[in-house]
Amino acid sequence: MQFDSLQNQIILLDGAMGTVLQQKGLPPGGHPELLNLTNPDLIRSVHRDYFDAGSQIVYANTFGANELKLAGTGHTLQEVVTAGVRLAKAEAGPGQFAALDIGPLGTLLEPMGSLSFQRAWELFANMAVCGEKAGADLAVIETMTDLYEAKAALQAVKDCTKLPVLVTMSFDEGGRTFTGCTVASMARTLEGLGADAIGLNCSLGPDKLAPLLKELCENTRLPVIAKPNAGLPDPVDGHYDMDPEAFAETLLPCLEAGVTLFGGCCGTSPEYIRAVRRVLEGKSPAPRHYLGGSFVCTPTNPLRLDGVRVIGERVNPTGKKRFQQALLEDDLDYILDVAIQQEDAGADILDVNVGFPGVNEAEMLPRVVKKIQSAVSLPLQLDSTNPDALEAALRVYNGKAAVNSVNGEPEVLTRILPIVKKYGASVVGLTLDKRGIPQTAEDRLAIARKILDAALSFGIPREDVWIDCLTLTVSAQQEQAAETLRAVRSIRQELGLQTVLGVSNISFGLPNRGLISQSFLIQALAAGLTLPILNPNQTEMMDAISAFRVLSGADAQCRDYIARFSGAVPAVQSVQSAEMTLEDAVCKGLKADAAKLAKAALETGDELSLVEKRLIPALDRVGEGYEVGRVFLPQLLSAAQAAQAVFEVIRTSIAEKGGAPVKKGTLIVATVQGDIHDIGKNIVKTVLENYGYEVFDLGRDVPPETIVQAVVKQGVQLVGLSALMTTTLPAMAETVRQLRTLPEPPVTFVGGAVVTPDYARQIGADYYAKDARESVEIAKKVLE
Amino acid sequence: MKPDVNEALRYLGAQNAPENLRRQTAEMAENLASAIQPRYTYKVYGLEFLPGGIALRGTNVVLTGVSATKMLAECQQAALLACTLGTVFDRRLAVFQARDMAKAVLCDACGSAFVEAGCDAAGAELAARFPDRYLTDRFSPGYGDLPLSLQPDICDALDASRRLGLYVTESLLLNPAKSVTAVIGLSDRPQKARIRGCACCSMRDTCALRKGGKNCAI
Repeated sequence: MQFDSLQNQIILLDGAMGTVLQQKGLPPGGHPELLNLTNPDLIRSVHRDYFDAGSQIVYANTFGANELKLAGTGHTLQEVVTAGVRLAKAEAGPGQFAALDIGPLGTLLEPMGSLSFQRAWELFANMAVCGEKAGADLAVIETMTDLYEAKAALQAVKDCTKLPVLVTMSFDEGGRTFTGCTVASMARTLEGLGADAIGLNCSLGPDKLAPLLKELCENTRLPVIAKPNAGLPDPVDGHYDMDPEAFAETLLPCLEAGVTLFGGCCGTSPEYIRAVRRVLEGKSPAPRHYLGGSFVCTPTNPLRLDGVRVIGERVNPTGKKRFQQALLEDDLDYILDVAIQQEDAGADILDVNVGFPGVNEAEMLPRVVKKIQSAVSLPLQLDSTNPDALEAALRVYNGKAAVNSVNGEPEVLTRILPIVKKYGASVVGLTLDKRGIPQTAEDRLAIARKILDAALSFGIPREDVWIDCLTLTVSAQQEQAAETLRAVRSIRQELGLQTVLGVSNISFGLPNRGLISQSFLIQALAAGLTLPILNPNQTEMMDAISAFRVLSGADAQCRDYIARFSGAVPAVQSVQSAEMTLEDAVCKGLKADAAKLAKAALETGDELSLVEKRLIPALDRVGEGYEVGRVFLPQLLSAAQAAQAVFEVIRTSIAEKGGAPVKKGTLIVATVQGDIHDIGKNIVKTVLENYGYEVFDLGRDVPPETIVQAVVKQGVQLVGLSALMTTTLPAMAETVRQLRTLPEPPVTFVGGAVVTPDYARQIGADYYAKDARESVEIAKKVLE
Repeated sequence: MKPDVNEALRYLGAQNAPENLRRQTAEMAENLASAIQPRYTYKVYGLEFLPGGIALRGTNVVLTGVSATKMLAECQQAALLACTLGTVFDRRLAVFQARDMAKAVLCDACGSAFVEAGCDAAGAELAARFPDRYLTDRFSPGYGDLPLSLQPDICDALDASRRLGLYVTESLLLNPAKSVTAVIGLSDRPQKARIRGCACCSMRDTCALRKGGKNCAI
């Protein structure tokens, strides 16, 4: 089936399968896909009714026919999908098509669930391969609420079959999916990944979907699909409130918005499709208004590049010993923290670079991307020259990313651009080639053109090409500062592309670097720089950005500027008084003060005695207050975090001296297999870390075998396990049992809502910890 | 709709919280309510009293055990209810956990209170739709002897994954984390409160408050 032929014409899809089956007397729920095997005539008759009503494409009865949902039914994916596709095909006449229907897997993907992206991809790939083999004309992915899952499905169909593929997602009235994905993020991500048409299905009636469909049409060049419900269901009898005529009439605003593929979801039947056909008879597609423009995103954060956007540069080991140490020690929490600080400081995009000797980038970059995306909503710019690392990271990235970078070298372009195209990313092109960085703006423009042409030839749209004219150090090559600014101006004016510059290079080797960097930034912005790469934690740089946004009119009514400078933003500043001690700061949970006082203390004392003589006694004081009910959990944790700030000062001090870190002992914590509630375990970890213990956190839903392996690998003597639900207690028992079979079994302590001291004894755990405070006592006993 | 601050403090074990902790909790509750609202769905079914339990007509749900039998003894119908704060809440909690554990535990407690508030709202809506019926207390799998193994069938009956983005894991946990499923009986005669208090609570053996000779006043 050629989708090009479907551009610019109205196509009718089918309506609901489940609703019709219920009308024919089947109970809701269960596995309707099994009817492909047990009652094929019934399924065929539904397809036939839809074709008769005017559907040109029907969806085979394979929505939930994935291996997860079919497990335990006694039937294989092959049987159910093959039969389903064949039944739909059997009814298709000339000009009528059968689609393999792919619904959600029925379980949440990481990081909210435990299904990995790769596993989801495999499950979808198995369906897709089977559907193509059975003769499907196309694949449809529908009712998705998680962009990540939609991506896994789309990627699987594209990787493993030649089928055209339609993707529709479900949104609420507010324009978000259940997982918070926006319409624009969906549109730009799925178009970038190569969907043939995209749209919305389920959740709402056509009246409520129309404004969202309009937004969708503005954000994609692809044909757009509307497959709404027949209004809203009655909670008592389950009936939908729109009849066929009303449903069809309300689809007309969707047509005007630019939709060309029409069908129905829950509550619709062949009667609805017949009505839709009547209403759309003789109508032609409406003209489309695509907003265009450069864009990157995560599901929840669509970022239009229609003004200056700051790219944070701090996730990068170059010249940063503490960051290098974190990479080598696999301390992803530290890297996440660097990312978080930049988000809080106002960065719009984060550059992510983990290239360092001794680090396997192809393995580390995707892990860091996942880690950052678990708690930061900014779009990422993946910074590597290693194509394997880029591909691995783009694959697991959720949204539309940018790649930093290519240059004018043909080999580099042919190596990297196909990957950029495949994942729909934007790409930064550096204006240099084999001969180095050209000395004139004209020559840099020429390389920019070459990069643009190459990108276009690979099918990468113009707006996804960003050009970096390169900042040279002004103290070394003084005339080049002006040349770089000229190059920025001409690329903006002549090519109209986004421009990138790493700003802080300019001032290298000069005193008062901040002034030179800030001045250069302001001039570059005036010349047309749109994407400065800088350290957003440097206030003077962000101040300049804020002022520029006022002067360029981007900051309407100077609102952000006023908020930044009038003190409307509450300052988390120090209330330090002359008398405040480090102990006070920790007890009161004042992070900034604690860090400052720790720095002062290190001027006269050593790290170890700071920990032993001051920090730990202060934490103990808070802990005792917690035990007697004078201090509550949030306060205990605030104190722990102030202690963490002190530890960070200590770590940095030691990293700078190249010494060995202060570690009081090492332990492993994990939430057992099957359990996804891990806040308790994380509380324990926070508190233990701030007593100076090194905690390997294996995460949640951790199989016993993984815990055993980690114990052996790390050689730890203490393991903490948590479980929240009675249903996951057996996994805790099994983990303890396996740990006890080791030649040198570690000491185990267990805790969690449903765990009791008796249960702990019964499963052979060494200790029961009722809370984080008790965990510390146990750690002291075992490790010291 | 917003979370009840007192209830959130109760989840934190901090009923006697000092003023500043109470204020922080109230701020967190506001902040949460401005970003997220609980989503819920419910459906009413006829009951069939079978030897093995109480079946909800048109579904695979059979409520077994003493608790359900007692609760629904005088009912002709029952509603299944599901309520969730969604993965958007989980994400928010993850963001807090990465930034500030102290705020994270406040967020967690407010979330627990918020999903209960969502259930209360759904219950009130149900009561308003059936003005001539008497509703029992709300009870959930895991309370008393009502088994957690009902979760998949309850979610299936409510089409909860499609309607709410609510899933059941293999270990019978609801995901997103702040989610509740529940049963409410509908009767033609007044129903007395049965569900509240330690005697009905599944936490009665492990509850820290109870061990200290107190209770949570639910």
